[in-house]
Amino acid sequence: MTPDNASYMHVAYALVLLGIVGYVASLAVRARALAKRADALRPGASRRA
Amino acid sequence: MSTSVAPAAPATAVAPRPAAPLRPLDPLVAVALVALVGVMGWALLATPVERLQGAAQKIFYVHVPAAIVAQYLAAPLAAIGGALYLWLKDERLDRLAESAAEIALVFLSLVLVTGPLWGKPIWGTWWSWDARLTTTLFLWFLVLGYLVLRGAIEDRAQRGRYSAVLGILAALVVPFNHMTVTLFRGLHPQPIVLKPERPGLSSEMGLAFGLAMAAFVLLFVALLRLRMRYAAMRDEVEAAEGLA
Repeated sequence: MTPDNASYMHVAYALVLLGIVGYVASLAVRARALAKRADALRPGASRRA
Repeated sequence: MSTSVAPAAPATAVAPRPAAPLRPLDPLVAVALVALVGVMGWALLATPVERLQGAAQKIFYVHVPAAIVAQYLAAPLAAIGGALYLWLKDERLDRLAESAAEIALVFLSLVLVTGPLWGKPIWGTWWSWDARLTTTLFLWFLVLGYLVLRGAIEDRAQRGRYSAVLGILAALVVPFNHMTVTLFRGLHPQPIVLKPERPGLSSEMGLAFGLAMAAFVLLFVALLRLRMRYAAMRDEVEAAEGLA
């Protein structure tokens, strides 16, 4: 008899998606922080601050 | 006599290009994510339910491609990038190694999460200190250590050298890990896809697996490209900050 264990598969697929999307989101957050640092180096940045 | 203070020209002259923001959801990443979702849908709806293992067997379509990409693409690329960096001292190679290692960690994490979710209903346990599982966990710690080491060293050249050595050592675990299922008896099954005698998958399963492999390789390429662009921007900003 085929066992009923689809919930394990659903959780695994959801976690894979979450992991990949989470990694892309972490890159977005780091890129945004980097953009702020780059902005602070531009001429006139101190006057705007 | 002039008393004016000279402007901080060097800092502004080398400031990073402001008009090149990193867009994490660039077209290639978006296509790769759509491909991943599509493959998951295909595996859920178009592949047969395995008679003995039930639906949990479909974890195969994400677990195995993630493992193959992490161990046979990402980790070796981190080692090759590091080795070439030691030889050529080109920072782009260091960035390639660093980026590949970070993505290897992400994919290895997926392997270590999906594996127990497959193991529990089939083996009756979440984890076993089986040789394959243990060496995969060991590789995960090595790659994590690689990234921690990089974060702990400020000098860029020293960071590149030390991490290159660790990256090469970490990749040496991969061939051993590959052979563990034949060298040691354990719970983890022997190769199913790359079995020389006869394919261990039905045609529907083989097609879904091939599509999943393509999606994961595409995802790896897209994430690697994005991560390398991020690393290049970071180096540029750090160089400018050093002069500011």
